[in-house]
Amino acid sequence: MARRGEKKRREGGIPTDSFSDIAFLLIIYFLVATTLVRLQAITTEMPSGDKSAQAQSEKTPIVNLRGGEVFFNDAPVTFPALEERLAALDLPARVPEKRVVMLESATGTPYDTYFQALAAISGNGGVVALVDEEK
Amino acid sequence: MGRTRSHARRKKRRTVPVPTASMGDIAFLLIIFFLVCSEASQDASDIQVTLPASERVEKVKAPAAARIAIDKEGTIYFNGGRVDSAKEVETGVQIRLAGTVTEDQRHVQFRCDAGVTKEIFEPVLKAIAEGGGILEAVGTKKESTP
Repeated sequence: MARRGEKKRREGGIPTDSFSDIAFLLIIYFLVATTLVRLQAITTEMPSGDKSAQAQSEKTPIVNLRGGEVFFNDAPVTFPALEERLAALDLPARVPEKRVVMLESATGTPYDTYFQALAAISGNGGVVALVDEEK
Repeated sequence: MGRTRSHARRKKRRTVPVPTASMGDIAFLLIIFFLVCSEASQDASDIQVTLPASERVEKVKAPAAARIAIDKEGTIYFNGGRVDSAKEVETGVQIRLAGTVTEDQRHVQFRCDAGVTKEIFEPVLKAIAEGGGILEAVGTKKESTP
């Protein structure tokens, strides 16, 4: 029995019953909020300088990008037409040395146009050889 | 007498409690497991790049050995760090690819802003080729026109 004047001591405690609920909610939150980023890209092999020079010949097809236009073997084409011309070459059936397609671009060519040309060549089984613009 | 017999026939029902005292420990261990196992993204999210579009892009399968980015100002980044020239890119790619055996280990991710001109990105592409990397040019999917 408590004496008069004595304060009744109360014991404070941290309630831990809901800790597991909090932890599982955190897990669910992180699982839901995680962003699974899957990048999309075109994959293309480009031979290095020496190999590129060896693979080129007079018959090697060439894609030119100049003045906002696309040329395939010096003939003006659109990108869909370029795809058709490259598909007609049946590059995947050739030996790797014969699958080279030269890509030449003029000064100031934006990467957007260049990317589409890269995609067209690599998508049709070609190996891209970068060519310096003739001055 | 009859009462004790009916009492004896009733089976004593026992309640079995599920011990939940350690569920908090299990949950926090799971959190720590997921935190340790998850891989921090190596892509620098503060590099502003407008990616070009093409119908030919496909989801990347092989992990990249190196990541190169060019922002709209023409600044070149190698694995998130700024570099001054394409020559540094070539050196970095050669170092990264030293000792690689299979083709899947030689993929080099390349992100470039769509408006960057040839004078800036083409030397970088040549540097990747000279370093022995297989180019993975990142883009977005263009919806095919019917």
